[in-house]
Amino acid sequence: MSLMARITEGKSYHWWSRMAAMTGKELLQLGRDTVLVCAVLYLFTLDVMMAGGVKMDLNQGAIVVHDADHSMASRELIYRFQPPYFKLSGEILNEKEGIQLLDQGETLVVLDIPPKFQHDLLQGKPTAVQVQVDASNTVLGTLAASYSAQIIGQYGFDAALQRIGLTADSMETIPMLADRHRVWYNPNQKDAWFMSISELLTVITILAMMLPAAAAVREKERGTIEQLLVSPLTPMQIMLPKVISMTLVILLGTALSLGLILHGVFEVPMKGSLPLFFLVTALYTFAMSGLGLFISTMSRNLAQAAMLVIMIMMPIILLSGAWTPPEAMPEIIRQAMYFSPLYYYIEMGYGILLKGAGLDVLWDSLIGLGLLGSLIFSFGVWRFKRQFG
Amino acid sequence: MNINRVKALAFKEWREILRDRLFFSLAFVVPISMMLVFGYGIKLDVENIPFAILDQDRSAMSRDYLHLFIDSRYFDYQGDVGNENEIDDLIADSKIRFAIIVPPKFQETLLSGRPIAVQSLIDGTFPFRTSTSKGYVAAINNAFNTQLLTAYISQKMGTTPEQAAAFVSPIKVQLRYLYNQEIKSIWSIAPAMMMFILLMTPPFLTALGVVREKENGSIYNIYSSTVTRGEFLIGKLLPYVAISCINVIILWLMAIFVFGAPFKGNPLFFFAASVIYVTCTTGIGLLVSLFARTQISAMMITVVVTIVPAVLYSGLLVPIASMDEASQFEAHLFPAMYYTDIALGSFLKGIGMEELWTRVAALLLYTVVLWVASYNLFHKRVKA
Repeated sequence: MSLMARITEGKSYHWWSRMAAMTGKELLQLGRDTVLVCAVLYLFTLDVMMAGGVKMDLNQGAIVVHDADHSMASRELIYRFQPPYFKLSGEILNEKEGIQLLDQGETLVVLDIPPKFQHDLLQGKPTAVQVQVDASNTVLGTLAASYSAQIIGQYGFDAALQRIGLTADSMETIPMLADRHRVWYNPNQKDAWFMSISELLTVITILAMMLPAAAAVREKERGTIEQLLVSPLTPMQIMLPKVISMTLVILLGTALSLGLILHGVFEVPMKGSLPLFFLVTALYTFAMSGLGLFISTMSRNLAQAAMLVIMIMMPIILLSGAWTPPEAMPEIIRQAMYFSPLYYYIEMGYGILLKGAGLDVLWDSLIGLGLLGSLIFSFGVWRFKRQFG
Repeated sequence: MNINRVKALAFKEWREILRDRLFFSLAFVVPISMMLVFGYGIKLDVENIPFAILDQDRSAMSRDYLHLFIDSRYFDYQGDVGNENEIDDLIADSKIRFAIIVPPKFQETLLSGRPIAVQSLIDGTFPFRTSTSKGYVAAINNAFNTQLLTAYISQKMGTTPEQAAAFVSPIKVQLRYLYNQEIKSIWSIAPAMMMFILLMTPPFLTALGVVREKENGSIYNIYSSTVTRGEFLIGKLLPYVAISCINVIILWLMAIFVFGAPFKGNPLFFFAASVIYVTCTTGIGLLVSLFARTQISAMMITVVVTIVPAVLYSGLLVPIASMDEASQFEAHLFPAMYYTDIALGSFLKGIGMEELWTRVAALLLYTVVLWVASYNLFHKRVKA
């Protein structure tokens, strides 16, 4: 019995030492590819930083004015188009000029104030202001339109109040709603918080799939897989170290990115538990590397693998809900989101980092990712074993 | 430059691509499926926002007010909550994106002619959705205010409700959406997707094609042959440019016939500009392949230099005009932005060479710089 025990012990010792050796080999191989290391470093640091610099809201949209009235009232209205949303970029003399500027993309909005604007306003006659918006970019177009309408509406409202002799002080005496909103988790609505986290999660997604896939396909393409197959290593021992080493690299990169960029540059409040975040990241990386392994069994060379990675990555990112709100999607696509591992990861990533949510809130997402992840991973392992077993 | 050698090389490369069936089919399948997935999948309109209500007044007036939200197609009513703590949990779990709290004595205060504050709690995780939700809430509040004020004025000044309504909002806003009257976001997205796909796929194909020869060692056949540097680069890349040109036509047809985007510009001009663009993006792949020794690093660099600018610096999701100065400067360094202008201009605005020549010139300059740099960096002699 004791002999059996010693043999088993020896076996498990060999199993683990082989695993360690292979993991070391993968890390060494990665470390020697300087260009690749630089690319990975870049993705985790500068790239996340660049993404954080991008603003999503309308910011200083150019507006030109055709003022046919040239009165106090028209000037007052024009001066209400101020940064951050708008930037006055000049006056034009006729409508044609406005169209030309819109065509060339020099301006986003053309505001047209009719003659007798002040006169009508003082007389209490209805008047109309024309707003032309470049809607070739629909997001920007709708934002610009709604902000302009708000500004003009507020101006009209104020003018009306002034006419009946109400000032800011006497506002206390009319029945009105005051809109008090509180924005949670990101009170100043800093786009950088959203963008940098989103970019980090995307980078993790790309690398978690690409690195293991590439590490496996490279062995196939160069023929070194034959050497591994004639060695005493089992398919599991060939494959797992690739996943483990790449997961390590990704976790390191994530730590670097969290510390240097998200915390250091953008001051994202890390409200939740960081160990939980790393745990979730490790789980996610494992799930995605399962897809990577699956790809590596499908392809004979890296070019094929790269194309397949893109093919699979696109729907995963799209269905994640980061760019397109789930509730705006058709029912079928909303159901399909449950099959995107990134959907759960985004939910938990933002939940932990911004909202400070813990397991009590996120358990359902964690179970979802766990189930989907083990499914994907075992599928990848199964394909790999079948090909090399 | 010997034209026969270029032909031979291009033919060899073409054959190699053709024989790798999976690669060859993916070269067309990837762009097409990207177009389909994004075209049908990207929806930037914010609708059906899930929200909850905390009504502390429970009066006829508060119900009237809250029904403005419940009946709106922009909102998706999830139910009433009993207290503020419940709202916290619902928002933390992403079950709702915002909540409206109507304070006690809502009706009483308003009927007695005094103002009252209504609070809304909005989830700030996704800024675009936050500002849209905020805008919708403000719009509904304004509508309700207009009602209140109209009633107040008609009562106070003794006018009819119609007169009072005209008095409250004296200025009508005539909105005109140019180029995309119905604001169909797919009309903007389809041309932008052409930019995105044609920025990503050509460098991938090219970089992998060149680095594969380096990694497998077959490039030594070229080093030791009589083929000159220029002949090699042109012969090698010609098939990739050709594939991308075919993709230009496929994607263009898809944008028009599958997604129904109008094409108002000059097809010839657009095609010529697109050929310059894909030659340029192929050049990116070429330059990358000269730095990378392994295919995996070629792949990663391509991701770095294409996907990021394509998503962030092209105007696809984030308008260039909205960026801060540093980002705007960076955007000008990538070719994506210029082609977005050309694509949107040709599709929606119906403008051509006259207005867009600066963009075409920028792309051309970009292409020349990339190819000259690659030519100078490519050596037939291996460094010791």
